[in-house]
Amino acid sequence: MEFEPIIVGFLCNWCSYTGADLAGTARIKHRPNLRTIRVMCSGRVDPTFVLKAFAAGADGVLVCGCHPGDCHYIEGNYKTMRRMELLGQLVRAYGIDERRVRLEWVSASEGERFARLVDEMTLELRQLGPCKLRPTVAALANDFDGLSRAVTAQVAASGEVTHG
Amino acid sequence: MKDDCRIGFYICNCGTNIAKVVDAEQVCERIAGLPGVACARAYKYMCSNPGQEMITRDIRERGLNRVVVAACSPRMHEPTFRKALEAAGLNPYLLEMANIREQCSWVHDDPRAATAKACDLAHAAVRRVRYHQPLEKVEASYAPATLVLGGGIAGLTVAVELAEASQPVYLVEREGKLGGNVGRADLTAPYLDSARDILAEKIARAEASPKLDILLRSELVELRGFVGNFRATVRTTGGPTRDLAVGAVVVCTGYQEFDATRIERLGYGRFPDVITSFELERRLRMGRLETDDGRIPRYVSIVHCVGSRNPRYHPYCSRVCCMTALKYGHEIKSALPAAMVTDLYVDMLSFGKGGEDFYRRTSELKTMFLMYEKGDPPRVRAAEPGDDCGLLVQVNERLSGEVIDVPADLVVLMVGMEARADGGDVARTVGISQDRQGWFIESHPKLAPVSTATEGVYIAGCCQSPKDIPDSVAQARAAAAMVLAHVAQGKIEVDARFAEIDPDRCSGCRMCNELCPYTAITFDPDERRSSVQSALCKACGTCVAACPSGAITARHFTDKQIFEQIEGVLAWSSSRSS
Repeated sequence: MEFEPIIVGFLCNWCSYTGADLAGTARIKHRPNLRTIRVMCSGRVDPTFVLKAFAAGADGVLVCGCHPGDCHYIEGNYKTMRRMELLGQLVRAYGIDERRVRLEWVSASEGERFARLVDEMTLELRQLGPCKLRPTVAALANDFDGLSRAVTAQVAASGEVTHG
Repeated sequence: MKDDCRIGFYICNCGTNIAKVVDAEQVCERIAGLPGVACARAYKYMCSNPGQEMITRDIRERGLNRVVVAACSPRMHEPTFRKALEAAGLNPYLLEMANIREQCSWVHDDPRAATAKACDLAHAAVRRVRYHQPLEKVEASYAPATLVLGGGIAGLTVAVELAEASQPVYLVEREGKLGGNVGRADLTAPYLDSARDILAEKIARAEASPKLDILLRSELVELRGFVGNFRATVRTTGGPTRDLAVGAVVVCTGYQEFDATRIERLGYGRFPDVITSFELERRLRMGRLETDDGRIPRYVSIVHCVGSRNPRYHPYCSRVCCMTALKYGHEIKSALPAAMVTDLYVDMLSFGKGGEDFYRRTSELKTMFLMYEKGDPPRVRAAEPGDDCGLLVQVNERLSGEVIDVPADLVVLMVGMEARADGGDVARTVGISQDRQGWFIESHPKLAPVSTATEGVYIAGCCQSPKDIPDSVAQARAAAAMVLAHVAQGKIEVDARFAEIDPDRCSGCRMCNELCPYTAITFDPDERRSSVQSALCKACGTCVAACPSGAITARHFTDKQIFEQIEGVLAWSSSRSS
């Protein structure tokens, strides 16, 4: 049987979650591999959420927010953008292929785009296969504070700050 | 987890919308086995009265203290189910929904995979709800004044309705006069009453009302605050910039017409006798139904769907053009009975009250109807010497399959409606979204047609989508009713979701101060601590994710709640969980 990856999606309430709902109302079929978690803004997506998802068994993480300039919260998504750059380095440091994390902009009217994104990412992850973690990361799965500390340390080591 | 949780789990079949793809019974069985779940039920329509009563009764009789409903999107019925909790005396925030319709059964065909996904989403909701906390809504005052953007038929209607209900209104219009696009029309279809009369009455009422402040040549430049408590900065050209306290904003910014030069073969801009519908309206208003050089036209050709229903320009129907074209047939044949009027159309959409009847009456006036293919508009060229007309309109006629040259002295292009080019600026200023065509998006097309993603900001008229005068007026009055309902209460319950800073954990680094888009975080230099002003906070959570001390909590979106959700969605399905 073909490997079916599980993707954890963090969707902002105003644009991307609404776009995903629109895919539903328009009955735009797509792969059933995404498991969505609603956040108010993509800016809420703490790097630890992403690591946590991998530690808990996700094969990929998709973060979706409003298009730059269209954020319901004025500029939350710009902050996400900068944070996600660092996140790329972070997951690499944990031995996770960067292609497993994606940040995409999906507006409230882009049901079609959302559906295609899910399909695309599913296919890519199928080729990459199941995400294997180093035991150190897996061990952090149930320890939020530990995870936070690890993220902070990792970011400090990369010589940058997570903020802004 | 909390040991004292008694969770009620309810899965909705939504008729067959969910149940035809998701095996609701199977989801129920699996969820019933999770720790803390006191009861698990499937029902055909959870949002119905019996469905809601089931929840309320179970809370009372079974002592439930948490509820999970797996059904449609929370954007649809979260308020409904929160009320069901409240009815039983349970705090409404002790509810969590799993979206297994829009984001599951409607988009997946494979019942096995869809059921597995529904189980995961429900599992996540159950894990999350255990860490929900009762939250109290915050009460805030509601300023009685309303800001109306746009002085067309919709904006005028909203403003007059509110002002005549004795509420203060600021009507902001960019142009130097009121009336908008309706002010450019002659008669209106299908009853042929004068647009001028319709407007004049409203404008007179607006100008007579002491509660209505008309701000011409003015624009909204900034909107701060939140529902009931907005501060609007309005700039007037050559006048003062005002800072207005308003409780609500109604956006009625209308539409712009399609630029006919974009379809080159129609000859607009090349031939002076190819004119747009608005240019014809102007001539009709002046009583001068004539060609560019002042002759009486013997042949008038009306081209429908210019820019509308054409995949290259706008895929949608502009809704008013067919009826307006029929009205032209009527007006031209009344004024010039000998003139030959030809309608070149794609499909005749004479929808709505009185529409078909008007179509029939116009057809009886010996107007000729020729059908062309969507995406293949007619081609206009100069007539040849010896022809008794100025122009020839070549059309690939669909019904006969022939190529026909239609004579014309005047060609009228029924230019469609499009979203205003600067709609994006308005949307950003007031915090609403646009669809792919640029129209503003309503909260729900059927259930909340004039509300938007931003509480207290409403939309009415053609800024939402093309519509005729009756529909614009209906939306305008609906928006006015929404506003009045809040004004009558005089207060508003503000969402209990906002960020809180734990002063004991705050290190005073001020990182969050800079990040907050609403400047809701203030720093106390004496205490060296930051704190959130809850009324200004809109709960985006950006500060929460960035706080290096983990001192900020997003109420109802706590780290713990989201962690539980992450584990929940993965517990049964991940390749490492089995």
